Amino acid sequence: MSTVKHFLRTVVGRAYPRLVGVWREKSWLIFDVLFPLLQVSAYVYIYRAIGAPPEFSGFAILGGATIAYWMNVLWSMASQLYWEKETGNLQLYLLAPTSRMAILLGMALGGLTATTVRAAGVILVGALLFRVPLQVSHGALFLGVFLLTLVALYGLGMLLSSVFLLWGREAWHLSNLFMEPVYLLAGFYFPVRALGLGLALAASVIPITLGLDALRQLLYPQLMENFRVLPVEAEMGVLAGLAVLFVFLARGGLRFFENLARREGRLTLRGQ
Amino acid sequence: MASYDLAVKTEGLTRIFRLRKREARDGAREILALDRVTLEVQRGELFGLLGPNGAGKTTLIKILATLLLPTSGRAYVAGIDVVENPVEVRRHINMVVGGETSGYGLLTVEENLWMFAQFYGIPSREARRRILELLALVGMADRAKTKVYHLSSGMRQKMNIVRGFLTNPEILFLDEPTLGLDVQTARTIREFVRRWLEEHPDRTILLTTHYMHEADELCDRVAIIDRGRILACAAPWELKTALRQEAVFRLRVEGIADAKAALDGMPEIRALAQHAEDGQLLLDLVLASEEALVSVLARLSASGARLAELRKEEPTLEDVFLALVGRKLTEDQDEHS
Amino acid sequence: MMRRLREAWQGIKVGTWLGWQIESNWTEPFLFAIYAVIKPVAGVLILVVMYLVVAKDGLANPLFPHVFLGTTFYLYVVNVLSGVSWTVVDDREHYGMLKYVYLAPMHFYGYLLGRGMAKTLLATLSVLVTLLFGVVGLGVRLSLDDPKLLVGALLLGLASLAFYGILLAGVSLLIARHGWVVGDVVAGGLYLLCGTAFPLSLLPWPLRALGLGLPPTHWLEALRRALLGSGLHSELSRLTSAQLLLILVATTALGGALSVGIVGVAERIAVRRGLLDMQTMY
Repeated sequence: MSTVKHFLRTVVGRAYPRLVGVWREKSWLIFDVLFPLLQVSAYVYIYRAIGAPPEFSGFAILGGATIAYWMNVLWSMASQLYWEKETGNLQLYLLAPTSRMAILLGMALGGLTATTVRAAGVILVGALLFRVPLQVSHGALFLGVFLLTLVALYGLGMLLSSVFLLWGREAWHLSNLFMEPVYLLAGFYFPVRALGLGLALAASVIPITLGLDALRQLLYPQLMENFRVLPVEAEMGVLAGLAVLFVFLARGGLRFFENLARREGRLTLRGQ
Repeated sequence: MASYDLAVKTEGLTRIFRLRKREARDGAREILALDRVTLEVQRGELFGLLGPNGAGKTTLIKILATLLLPTSGRAYVAGIDVVENPVEVRRHINMVVGGETSGYGLLTVEENLWMFAQFYGIPSREARRRILELLALVGMADRAKTKVYHLSSGMRQKMNIVRGFLTNPEILFLDEPTLGLDVQTARTIREFVRRWLEEHPDRTILLTTHYMHEADELCDRVAIIDRGRILACAAPWELKTALRQEAVFRLRVEGIADAKAALDGMPEIRALAQHAEDGQLLLDLVLASEEALVSVLARLSASGARLAELRKEEPTLEDVFLALVGRKLTEDQDEHS
Repeated sequence: MMRRLREAWQGIKVGTWLGWQIESNWTEPFLFAIYAVIKPVAGVLILVVMYLVVAKDGLANPLFPHVFLGTTFYLYVVNVLSGVSWTVVDDREHYGMLKYVYLAPMHFYGYLLGRGMAKTLLATLSVLVTLLFGVVGLGVRLSLDDPKLLVGALLLGLASLAFYGILLAGVSLLIARHGWVVGDVVAGGLYLLCGTAFPLSLLPWPLRALGLGLPPTHWLEALRRALLGSGLHSELSRLTSAQLLLILVATTALGGALSVGIVGVAERIAVRRGLLDMQTMY
């Protein structure tokens, strides 16, 4: 059997539980759409309280929807292998004569599909509820930036998964640590340029930073003229670079950390 | 024999686990889990690793299954070095660990097994055929559509077994496959393993267990392992025959608290295990010859013991373990528990 | 009676000890301290940047100290409410401990309360650090004009949060792994509905009415009055501090009663449906 076929079978195999799981336990729909929506609403009202123009509410809604992806990467990608280890699945994955990248990709695609439903729900309900102007000036470009951001983001997720392979409970806490500080640094609720160009550029290592910035530029070109980090095309270039870099690093990282974990006997260590 | 002719070959395999400072046991920062293990398993064999908990069985399996690196020594599976080429090794093996579940509770039995089959590149139609066939063999045909979190632990274990056999591996590692199962489920699994090997005589199974009757019933050859070292390796009948030259007795005595102390220093006693039961002391004795029994009884009598029961026994693997290690396998489990 | 009390105490003791171990011993104390500081401070900094970008007078905006204080004490809501409900999922699906906890001769409710205590201790650390950051780094001026109100409100509010957290833990007993977000959803809802970071008057009237009926709204308002000398919500301005405390007493008692009832019912359903050792990862 060809390697490509085997790779694809693995991707489909691992994506399957994610896709089936979300439809089998529908209660997630309430929680997963409701939770970001509540947060987004709070930030919209904070902006309203200080008399911000309506575009800022749009920033918050877009950021809130993107948070769904970040949460998915943190909790269902990065720290997933920790959960898999705890339940005994990790050793079975590693035992299988298949690509680890395919397993991670399956995990990513499964999670991404479910998260897209969630993010779309947040944007739709948020925009209707708060009557926020959401007018995309360049549809194809907007879609391109969005997809590029996702590829880079899930590439980072794969890299984090490989790093987290080594860890036990630390992985959980690290994911937890990567919430508020990343919400801040990536500018989920405000234009990241407000942090200063230097910090904004440094934060660009998180793909969402430039992804969000580019999407906001395409949604609110006038307002963003004063706030943009880089022109959209340059941001797309960086995102493409990050995507390649993260996937490449994830591949090497998986090999390195798997070996390290094999040496230290941590692949099957439970209850940490 | 060259490593490629063998299913498994190890040479001086050693594994040391290093502990952090705060985890040190009695000041020791290292645990010797495997101590220069050298082993050969033939293709087509059902090979057993028999030893108490913590003997090193699982560590050895993990190394062979490419989940753990040895500290030193070499290991080959299907003639391939597990350290140098783990990816290639994985094409030839699968593993089932007793007491563990696999897959996701929200998926059905069939879906979980199909998912694992995909990791091995088995086409969906072929995978479903094998899944249904194997589920029928372990008596779970009617559970294919049941979600895993609705299964009993015995059922989950059977599903786990099916997962191991599903990929038709050249070499299968079964780590305590019947651990914690009821008698009937354990028997079903043992029968299934035996039948599968009869139908696939070119396949190899390496089984770890601390149930002697399981090793005795299933295995072509057995290695007895304790504290990381292989103490003996032969067919169960050979191990027992070697002991037949000696004499195995079970004694039940009263009026004595510690027979070991009373019999201490008698050279004709090869091994002795004792445990109290209903106010009496049960002794398992391996003696150099039957004649030695007279002096043993005399010593016991002099210590105030009264003989309540005496039986001469055919040696079992338990006696082999006792003779080799100086304590019973079950005794060790008691200590562990 | 004595035995029930002893079992409850045992549950609280074990729950607190275990909760603290799980929260703190995963890394070195130094790293743990950094972790405990970075998260809450980052949360506040998001608001700071929003104010700096949009508000004309930046942090000198008269709303800011109230928003800062609300967000800081809201850390208790996140930690205790979400934390306790997550405990159930973690113990059940990760450590496989829930069934053993349940069958041990200690009070299950007491155990959950103990886990809540550990979360409260941890949140206290974060709240203190954030307050310090606000005073030193952001120039927020705190006064201690009404220490009785501060202590009374703080204790009642914490007890109330623990009760509502336990109530959610009861709900979590019955739902799948992703149900851990039930705590987050409720906490997120409270952030919005209780006017944690903006005046309630901005909310549409049905939500405003709902917010005015929620205990944390009164709790945060009492804390604002105690530490800043004035409240944020015009809707509550007619209430005296004593009335605010009285409302807190009533809602805490209600929370206690509801949590006991709901956990009891959830326990029975979980046992009937065999959910105590459910594995629902996917």
